[in-house]
This record gives sequence, structure tokens and C-alpha cells, in this order.
Amino acid sequence: MVEIGHFALVLAFALALIQTIVPLVGARIGSDRMMAVAAPTAITGFALTALSFAALMVAYAGSDFSVVNVWENSHSLQPMIYKLTGTWGNHEGSMLLWVLILAFFGALVAAFGANLPASLKANVLAVQGSIGVAFLLFILTTSNPFTRLIPAPVEGRDLNPILQDLGLAVHPPMLYLGYVGFSICFSFSVAALIDGRIDAAWARWVRPWTLVAWIFLTGGIAMGSYWAYYELGWGGFWFWDPVENASFMPWLAGTALLHSAIVMEKRSALKIWTLLLAILTFSLSLLGTFLVRSGVLTSVHAFATDPSRGVFILCILLFFIGGSLALFALRASSLTAGGLFQPISREGALVLNNLFLTTAAATVLIGTLYPLALEAVTGSKISVGEPFFNLTFGPLMVPLLLLVPFGPLLAWKRGDLFAAAQRLMAAFGAALLAALVTLFLIDGGSALAAFGAGLAVWLILGAATDLAMKSGFGSVAFPIMLRRFIGLPRSVFGTALAHAGLGVTLIGMVGTLNFGEEHILTMKPQQTVEVAGRTVRFDGIQPMKGPNFNEDRANFQLVNAGGQVTGTINSSKRFYPARQMPTTEAGIKTIGFSQLYIALGDESADGSVVARIWWKPLVTLIWLGGLVMMVGGAVSLADRRLRVGAPARRKSKPAAVASAS
Amino acid sequence: MTRKQKRLSVIVAGLSFLALAAGLTFYALGQKASYFYMPGDLSAANLAPGQRIRLGGLVEKGTIVRGQGTTVSFAVTDTHNAIKVTYTGILPDLFREEQGVITEGSFGSDGVFVADSVLAKHDERYMPKEVADGLKAKGVWQETQVK
Amino acid sequence: MLFWVIAAVLTLGASLAVLLPLAGGARGEHSQNAHDLEVYRDQLGELDRDLERGLIQPAEAEQARAEIGRRIIRLGSNETAAQAAGSGSKAVRLLSVFAVLAVPLLSWGIYARLGSPDLPSQPLAERLAKNPADSSVDELVARAEAHLVKNPTDGRGWDVLAPIYLRIGRFGDAVTAYRNAIRLEGVSAARQTGLGEAIVNGAGGVVSAEAQEAFEAAIKLDPNDPKANFYLALAFSQEGRKPEALATLQKMQATLPADSPWRKAVEQALTSVGGNPAPSASGPSQEEATAASSLSDEQRSAMIETMVASLDEKLKQNPRDTEGWMRLIRSYVVLGKTDEARAALRRGIAVFGADSPEAKQFVAFAGTLGLAATE
Repeated sequence: MVEIGHFALVLAFALALIQTIVPLVGARIGSDRMMAVAAPTAITGFALTALSFAALMVAYAGSDFSVVNVWENSHSLQPMIYKLTGTWGNHEGSMLLWVLILAFFGALVAAFGANLPASLKANVLAVQGSIGVAFLLFILTTSNPFTRLIPAPVEGRDLNPILQDLGLAVHPPMLYLGYVGFSICFSFSVAALIDGRIDAAWARWVRPWTLVAWIFLTGGIAMGSYWAYYELGWGGFWFWDPVENASFMPWLAGTALLHSAIVMEKRSALKIWTLLLAILTFSLSLLGTFLVRSGVLTSVHAFATDPSRGVFILCILLFFIGGSLALFALRASSLTAGGLFQPISREGALVLNNLFLTTAAATVLIGTLYPLALEAVTGSKISVGEPFFNLTFGPLMVPLLLLVPFGPLLAWKRGDLFAAAQRLMAAFGAALLAALVTLFLIDGGSALAAFGAGLAVWLILGAATDLAMKSGFGSVAFPIMLRRFIGLPRSVFGTALAHAGLGVTLIGMVGTLNFGEEHILTMKPQQTVEVAGRTVRFDGIQPMKGPNFNEDRANFQLVNAGGQVTGTINSSKRFYPARQMPTTEAGIKTIGFSQLYIALGDESADGSVVARIWWKPLVTLIWLGGLVMMVGGAVSLADRRLRVGAPARRKSKPAAVASAS
Repeated sequence: MTRKQKRLSVIVAGLSFLALAAGLTFYALGQKASYFYMPGDLSAANLAPGQRIRLGGLVEKGTIVRGQGTTVSFAVTDTHNAIKVTYTGILPDLFREEQGVITEGSFGSDGVFVADSVLAKHDERYMPKEVADGLKAKGVWQETQVK
Repeated sequence: MLFWVIAAVLTLGASLAVLLPLAGGARGEHSQNAHDLEVYRDQLGELDRDLERGLIQPAEAEQARAEIGRRIIRLGSNETAAQAAGSGSKAVRLLSVFAVLAVPLLSWGIYARLGSPDLPSQPLAERLAKNPADSSVDELVARAEAHLVKNPTDGRGWDVLAPIYLRIGRFGDAVTAYRNAIRLEGVSAARQTGLGEAIVNGAGGVVSAEAQEAFEAAIKLDPNDPKANFYLALAFSQEGRKPEALATLQKMQATLPADSPWRKAVEQALTSVGGNPAPSASGPSQEEATAASSLSDEQRSAMIETMVASLDEKLKQNPRDTEGWMRLIRSYVVLGKTDEARAALRRGIAVFGADSPEAKQFVAFAGTLGLAATE
């Protein structure tokens, strides 16, 4: 089974090569047959990659330590779920997952692209195939998960304990679905450049892919942030760590792409810019893959001693980014520019959005790459962290968020800023009220917190205003309004939800950062501490045994005024013998939208323990906001017009006949 | 305004916005990035009092002292020079003697480094890259080519 | 065999995915302008629907309609001649043949270089279930462990496993196994001696009070048990109670049968200066080293070499033993076997990874012995 997986992977590589060359040549010389090769090879290639991935998963499930990759990252005593997730909890396996998702998206285009013009479809799949060729070659030559080990050891070295967690089991696939989803947008852009023309339905085709990728990337980032929050025991939700930035940059660019694709679809404007943005977004995804997978971040040392992987990905990076940008430079001038619009209009607002988002992505890019570049050039080492991003990223986000509610209220082509502002008066008043309440009525309210709270309310009510106005609030009778409201296109709901989700996340951040409490103290058994008006009692530490770890579990009880226990929090320190590695499992109790968070420090001989106790008000809203954004994206995706993508031939044929007769 | 002028003004506005953002970014890089030092580099470095830096090295054996409450003091060494560090809070799981750490903070008036964060990476085999490179540069730690 | 069949089927499927479309008939293709026209028509339809629902103002709709109309007109003006597909040309046919052949040739060629088609999968459960005669010691141990996890009260299982643990150097596990065997199967001289020996080896050759208790219990059951007596003598000498040690050894010498394998060890121990007894079964302890110093040169180096070899073997079984590696490296340096010492250093580093603190420790340690890490 293992070797069949290996063989299937090699076969998938050969097919990807065909998928790249034959349709490309076919589209060039106008051969239908050669162009028709693209779809079946893409689908077969996906099936083979899936078979290969399944084979690796079976090896993990059965603890087949004759596979080096399994031996290095699994243990026979691990719970089955972590044996399975271990498949992608390592470099080789995760690269295979990356390629699997790439092939999956290609197969989707092949299967559902019947209404695409033949040459566009052939070119898209060829470009998609070429990415597959590069990464399959990377896997086969430098990171082969099917390398064997004979004689096979009887026990594996265990999966890195901090990866033995459900959050991290789901996080990489989601993140990759996001990263790699943008490859479709990239392929469409490059195909349009190769063709030298942008199909009328191009934006309609690209938008749903952008949306799908964006939804998953949003989910992946939110999940990763939540994982870091509870697993690392530091209680922070975002660290501006290069690995996090690597996923955040494509998100920023992707969000910009999502918006500019709307302009292109509705108004045929910003064509060239959208094309460029699609290329840049996927380039940032590739860059993210490079940063995380080459080892350049974790250790220059490791990168220097085993450069084959890093250099290989770097070559892939240069080829695709350089190639596509060169193609863009050559061909962009031959593409026809689109419609015109006034600066004050929906298009204008979306351009502004793009300007802010891409600039923000650029600052994150500089903050991430500058330390690496500086070290490579001068050898001096700096760290760029939160203070830098607060100073650069923050000022960019504030005006953007202030402007968000205006966008949907402006008309296409020529908008009326004054009318939009009038409609938003109610939302503005409420936001001001929220800011004042935060500043004067809540303990510890600062000007910044007040501003944040006001901004959050502004975003949420601004989204609500948009819905209300579109359903005719105030101008028509209530029943009509209700009917109109229900009849609104889903994409309008999607926009409102996604914008409101931003506000929800912002509330969570404001609450956590400004109104939280932190206590670090040494607690003896039965000692109590007051945290945010609640009493926490430490009941002592018990040793426990898990399947592949031992842990010291500390029991904390929440007690009320009468001394009755109202809740239990367990926080523990684990030790995984196979890796000789300790981890901290924070104890978290969710109360409403807020959380009580306890991390353990050192234990002393008399049974007392250093505990770090946080009260994090409204913290769950940070991730719930992400969820709301995802739901918004999904609702928008469900919009019939997007789902169909481009006109179906079956449907439009009779219509054409009818109009002719 | 003619269409051409309009377009020009939009482009100028966009460019000046970008210039502003770029200026801010480089100002921030100059101000907010903290430099990394090993204990031996400090005499050469001209540090303003209170300037935030990252100090990295190995935790010197036998120097970890647990003080009042959750305050801990220890020495960070590159095996030639050592700097005393105090830190209040919970140390990371992998903090132990003779392991690489990176601390971030600033020097107090008494010459003791007051750290507000201590990092030891979550991988047993991991040596923070700055520390590894620094130790290598000092010849304390040879690269072992085992292949 | 099955592998080759499946591989052939997969290859066939993949080749067909390339071959079928190439061999298929040319389909009538719409010109791209026709496609665009459909899109614009659809947009007009959507516009009407939006207008009906009141989503856009009539004036706006009119404007949009005019714009789409302009796009349609622009479309008609730049209609190009339909592409004449040269799908029958020789070059195309050549490329097609090449593409179809490339799939099997490439895949089998690359796989031949990378793959190991003869290696079957080896899921752990299956390996543990196969005929014991074909299994390695490790696998047998793993199988016994799996059995004992399920049946922790199987005293005989523990009894069988315990001496194996002792032999392959897993002393901690051996102690647990002996304790379980004693708890479940009752006390016996062999089990008590084994327990004691495991404790001694686990402690690096020091006979602790706990171990001594175990040996004494064994002697109570079988006063003539040579191993228990021998270790007891070792315990006495470690405590500095030389007369007792000598007495025990002399008693052993008197009672041991002539062909006992213990005879030689006892004699060596007796002849060593001060009556220090000779080798335990573990790595080189202080006592063994002193014993060794009283031997002739050849004897000594032979003894050291056996000890080193057994240490080497032990590290193969249980490689995450920092102390063990350093002991091995030092031993090889002492024996003048620089190459082996270097090899041991490399192996030790490989076990923990080049970046690990252990590896660093090894390198530093080797440096103190005058052994450079890199050659």
C-alpha cells in the first residue's frame, strides 16, 4: 500500500507534466484535441494524488514505522485521531496535502468548467498543472514522505506534542485550502495574459474562487490564532510572528482582490489591476509557503546546513512570481481597459479599500522580510514586533474601518457622499454613544478603548444600516420592507455580515486588551484569589497519566460567596517521554463571551504552584467575529449569480432563440 | 477639470499616500525594531538607558534564583561574559540551565537587565537562531558536520 | 506481485486520460465572441430582474443597459476570423504520441529510481502478529508488551520479559517487570536476583540498599545462589567491609561446583588487591576499573574491549543515553581507536540531531579528549 502511494505520486507528477504542456501547446495552435487533454488529466491527477495521500494516512493509522516519515512523527500509543492528523503535522506530509488541495481545485475547474471557453479552460488548467509539477518535483526530490526505513524500528519518535491538539489538526488543512485556493485566481490571471484577452465572464469565474479561498483562509487564521492562544499558554491572540504574518499577507491581498473583483464583475473596470492583484495574492501565498517550509525563519543555521529544500522553494517562488509578473509587463498593455467612474462612487470606495489593504499587506511584508534581509546583508539581528506593527499597520486600518460602512451605501459610477453620510447618522450617533459610555462609565476605559468601541459599533450598525436602506426602511410600509428584505440578494447579506464580523472581532480585541486582568502569584492549596469579582480556589495538584504523556493536573474551583463551587478549571503541565518534552495545557473557562484563563508555572516542594490567571473579557468575540466573516463569505457564495459563475449554455440557448424569432 | 487632470490628481494622491505609508514604515523600523545582542556585544554597543533590546545566550548553570513571589533571576551567558537578568512571570516550559534563551527588555539603573519576556522555543532541539549564530561566531559552538 | 498489477492498472488509467481526448473527434467550438455575447445577454437579464425587485433605480438601470449594449457592439466590430485548427498536422500527431508515451515511461522510470517496490507495508499490528520465529528481538519485546498492556496480571508474561529487558539494557523496565512477576507469581531466588541485578545496573553498578535487600532475600531462598552471593560480596566491598566481602567470596569458592562459570569470576575477585571482587554484568563501574587494573595488560584490554562492545550494543538498543555516548567516546579514545571514537561521536550526534544541546555537549566533551568533531 505504501509503495502504491509512492507510485501514484510519481504518476501524478508525470500527468501534471502532460497537463501543463499539451493543453498549452493546443491552445497556442488551436488544436481542440490537445486542449481537451487538460480536464481528464487534471481529474485523474487529483485522484492519484488523493490515493497517494490516503496511502500515507493508512501508514500512519497502522503505525507503519518502515516509512521514515511515520517513524519520525508518530507513536503507536498516540490516540488514533492524532495518528491521522500526524499525516500533515510534518513537513513532507503537509507538502503532500498542499499538492492534494492544488490538484483538488484544478479538478473542480475541470469538472465544472463546461461553460468556460475552451482555450481559457486549457490555459487555466495548464498553469494549475505547472504549479503541480513544481511542487510534486519538490516533494519527490527533497521531501519524499514515502522514503523507507529497513529494518523498521518498533516504536516511533512521536508527533511533536504541541501539535497533538484538535485545533492544530484542523488549522493546516483550512489554511492550505485558503492559500492554495488563490492558485485558481492566479491560473485564471496568467491564462488571460497568455490568451491576451480577458473573457467577459472572467471576473464571474474568479470571484467565487476568491471567495472560497478567502473563507478558508479567514477560518485558518482564526483557528491558528485560537490555537496559539490556548496552547502556548501566553494568553495572547496575535503575536505578529513571521509565521502568522505569512498567512496574514495573502489574507489582506485576498480581501483586496475580493473587492476589486466585484468592481470588475459589475462594471468591467479595474481589469488590469484585478489581474495583478490575483497574481500578487498567490505570490504572497507562495512566499508564505517558502517562509514556513524552507526553515529560513526557525533557524538560518538549519537553512544553511540543509539548503536544498529552501533553495528549491525559492526557485519555485522566483519562477512563478517572476514569470507571471514578466508576462504581465509584456501583455498588460494589450488588454482593454474597462469602464470609467467618478472618484466618489462604489468603485471609488473599493479602490480606496484596495489602496489601504495592499499598503497594509506591504507594511506587513516589509516588517516580516526586513529582519531577514538585514541579517543577510549586514549580519545584525533585529526583531520587528508588535510596536512596529502598531505604528504602521494600525494607522492604515483605522481610516479603512472608518470608511467601510460608506462603501455599500454609495451608488455605482457616481455616488452621493452626502446622502450616504445622512443615512449613516444613526449609526454614527450610536458609535459616539458607545465611545462615551466606554470612556466615562466603564472602569479603566481609555481614549483608545473608547475609540475602538465606537469604531466597532460603527462597523456593525453601518452594516445594519446598509441592509435597512436596501430594504427600503422608512420609505415603504413595513410589510413591503420585510418582503424586500427577504428578497435581497444573498451577496448583500454576505457583505453586511462580513463587515459586521470585523466589528465583532474589534469588540473582542478592545475588551481583552483594555479591560482584562492579570494575576501572577504563588498559590498554596486551598488558597483563593479574587479575579474580576470572582473567587478562584486552588485545590492542589494531582499526577495523571495520558495515553502517551504524564501530566500534573492542577484543580482550580470557582466558588461563590457562599463557598459553593460553581465551576472547575483544570490546568496542567504535561510531559511527553518519547520526545522528552514538556507542554503547558492552559485551563480555560468560558463565561458568556469572556474567559478565565489559567496557566501553570513551576511547582514547589510544599505543593504550592506559580499560577498565571487572566480574566479576558469578551475574548471569544475575536474568533466569533472571524466566524461571522466566514458565514458572510459563505452566504455570499450561495448567491445564485455567483454559484452559477457564468451563464449556463443550456439556459441561455433557448433565450437566444426566442429573442431571435 | 478635464479627465486627464482628474486622473493625474488621483494618481498623485495615491502616490503621496504610498509615500506617506513608506515613510511611516521606515520611521517605525528605525524606532521600534529591537536589536539583538549577546552578553559579549554589550560593551561595544552604545545603549541608551531604557532602550529595548533582545538579549540572548545560554542560561548559566547554577544562577537561577527564585526570589519573592514569581520573580526569578538568572544569568545569560555566551560562556565568556554573563549578564544578570530578572524577570517576573512564568518561565516557558523549556527554560532550563544551559539552554538557549532570548529575553527582551531593558537595562535598569543598577546594570541588571529587566526582562519582560523570556523566550525558549517549544522544540527541544531548537536553539534560538540568534543564539546559535552568536555562539558560533564566538567559536564556542562548532558546527558539527555529520552526514 | 499485487503491487505490479495495481501499478499497471494505474498507469493504464493515467495513459487513457491522455489518450482518449487526443483520439477523440474534434468538437465544434464556439468562437469566443459568441461566448462573450451570451455573458452580456445574461447580464441584461439580471439587470431586468434587479429592476423588478427594486434593487436599482430605473435611471441607473437604463445607464447600465446602455453600457452593456456598447460592449456588445464593440464585440461585433472586432470579430476575428475563426481559428483554423490544424489538429490533423504532423507535428500535433507527433506531440500526441510523445505525450501518451511519456506517462508510462516517466512514471516507471522515476519510480525505478526512487521506490522500493519489493518492500511490503509493515503496520505494527501485523508485525506483532506474525510468526515469532521471523521476528526480531525488538518485535518480540514489543509484542510481549502489547500483550501485557492488555493482560497486566499475566505473571508468567512478566517473568519471561524481565530477563530480556535486563539483557537488552532496559533496566528500568526490567525492575518493573521483576516486581510484577514477584507480585503475581511469588518470590523465587531467580526473580529476586534478577530484580537486584536490574537495580544495580540501573544505578550504574552501585549496589543500593534496595538491591542488597533483594539479594539477601534470594539467599534466604537459596543460600548457594552464586549470583546473589557475588553481588552481595560486591555490596560489602563497596561499603568498605572487606572482611565480609572476602568471607563471602571464599565461601563461594568452597561451595561452587568445579564446572561453574562463576568460578573464574570469583577467583579473579579474590586475587584482586584487597579482595575487590570482579565484574558485574553492567558497564564499567569504579570496581570493575580497579579490578581491571590488577589484570595483565592483554587481559585488561580484552576485558575493556568486551565492556566497550557491550556498551556499544546497549546504545544501539537504547540510543537516547547521553552519559552512555560520552562513556563510549571516552572508551574508544582510551583504547586508541580514534576512528571508532569519531564514529561514535557522529552516531551520538545523529541520535539527538546536530542542533541539539546534547550534540553540543558531545562536541565539547570530545574536544576535551583532543578529538575534533570534523575531520
